[in-house]
Amino acid sequence: MKNFWRLFSSFFRVALRREMAYRGTFLAGIIGQWISYGAAFLSIYIVVSNFDVLDGWNGAEVLMLYGLSVMSYAVGASFFFNFSKGLSRRIRSGEFDGSLTKPVHPFIHEVFSAGYNIGYISHFTISLCIMTVSLWGISFRPTLWNVLFLISAVLGASLIQAAVLIASSVISFFTVGSNPVADFLVWDMKEFTNYPITIFPRGIQFILTFILPFAFMNFYPASVLLKKDIPQGYPAILPYLSPVVGVAVFFLSIVLWNWGLAHYKSTGS
Amino acid sequence: MKKYRIVFKKSLKSEMTYRSAALAGVVSAALRFFIQVFLWKALLGTGAGQDIGFSDMLLYVVISGFMLELTRTNVAESIENAMIDGTISMELLRPISYKGYMLSQTLGKNIYGTLISTLPILLLSLFFISGAGIPTLCYGLLFVPSALLGILLMFETTYLAGLLAFWLQRCWFIRFYLNGLRSIFGGTTVPIWFYPGFLKALSYLLPFRYMTFEPINLFLMKVPLDQALVSILAAFLWLAGLSLLDRLVWRAAIRKLTVNGG
Repeated sequence: MKNFWRLFSSFFRVALRREMAYRGTFLAGIIGQWISYGAAFLSIYIVVSNFDVLDGWNGAEVLMLYGLSVMSYAVGASFFFNFSKGLSRRIRSGEFDGSLTKPVHPFIHEVFSAGYNIGYISHFTISLCIMTVSLWGISFRPTLWNVLFLISAVLGASLIQAAVLIASSVISFFTVGSNPVADFLVWDMKEFTNYPITIFPRGIQFILTFILPFAFMNFYPASVLLKKDIPQGYPAILPYLSPVVGVAVFFLSIVLWNWGLAHYKSTGS
Repeated sequence: MKKYRIVFKKSLKSEMTYRSAALAGVVSAALRFFIQVFLWKALLGTGAGQDIGFSDMLLYVVISGFMLELTRTNVAESIENAMIDGTISMELLRPISYKGYMLSQTLGKNIYGTLISTLPILLLSLFFISGAGIPTLCYGLLFVPSALLGILLMFETTYLAGLLAFWLQRCWFIRFYLNGLRSIFGGTTVPIWFYPGFLKALSYLLPFRYMTFEPINLFLMKVPLDQALVSILAAFLWLAGLSLLDRLVWRAAIRKLTVNGG
């Protein structure tokens, strides 16, 4: 475990230096993300507050969905974005074969050497703003229980986000060149969770709960904190399961990755 | 003009070979449309006494999606890549203006995917759109120049911001600024009808509202005719002003550019 930590921190320092080499770009990128995510945040808020409620959720409450989604993405993607998006390139260039020869598991070496993406600090800061506005708006009264619940929900959601990134990289083992099809679909499915899933038909609710469990990132935890209805007929325990679902899909995605790795044939470059 | 048509056709052809990308575009567009349909159904179903009907909103989503898709491009990234690998010198040698080249390439590249992904959505939405949503001849005729100006204006801003690539080391972030500003001040995600007063007022000071919002406003006949001409004129003036500006920026950029081998 100690070694694990030392390995991570030395790779982390390298990533930090790499980003800081272009300070202007780094800063401009962060402000750009603020504007872009800020625009989405503003539009959701404008729409919902204009109509007072969306299926029983007011503006501040719907914002919590967006806040949780962006925050968990910030955490999950900061660890796994470079790894996921870079895998195909690293396979083509042959760098990936280097990971196979290292004395740690290729997955761990890949994650560490692809590097922590410090740029997600922009997502994290904007998500803090969104969450603050939302919690303020619902006059949130912190207790030990609900703060712990919120933290565990964010961690569970981050694992789901990470699992998506890990699983979507598996295709690189089979096709040379990047394949944006899966990415697109996953990204679009996530868009559904910006709103309470109860506004969608039952089929979509089912997919977002049991097949691509994105609703556990934000809808279910928020439904507990805000005391909202979950889809009719679904077990009442579901909203509390985010951390469990997070851990489960995270491990599943690693199993999937290893399965992909077992079928990997080097390009020989 | 013929030269630009060739560029247009070439990029259209090269795009048509990527079947799976087109398919992904169709599914993706359909999903996004689906979200909007249910969102607006839930919102407007509550009958909060807005002046906007479900059918209007659907038309808004379809038209704005079409226009955004058609002009989606990343000039900054093309320039960045061309500068890194040195092809910029080739592109400058061509007997064709760089801006015209980019515009025909963008339209050629996007028109196939846009039509393919809009068609199913349009067919789907025919079930929901009421006859009242179809503009009268007069508004229809005003919509055409307004939409054309909007498309050109969208390209213009992307191009102008893209020219910054000549001064920046990296420019992947430019599109975040553009998309963000477009969405906040142009009403590309939420129609400006719903904006609070100060944002509405701010939107009049910037070119973004003339890209998709004003044309659609005409299509839905939400503007009196005399104001329609004002909005078309404003769009035209913005386009003329920004074109002038991009020429100055271009000249400065060329003076600054040094190509290292290539």
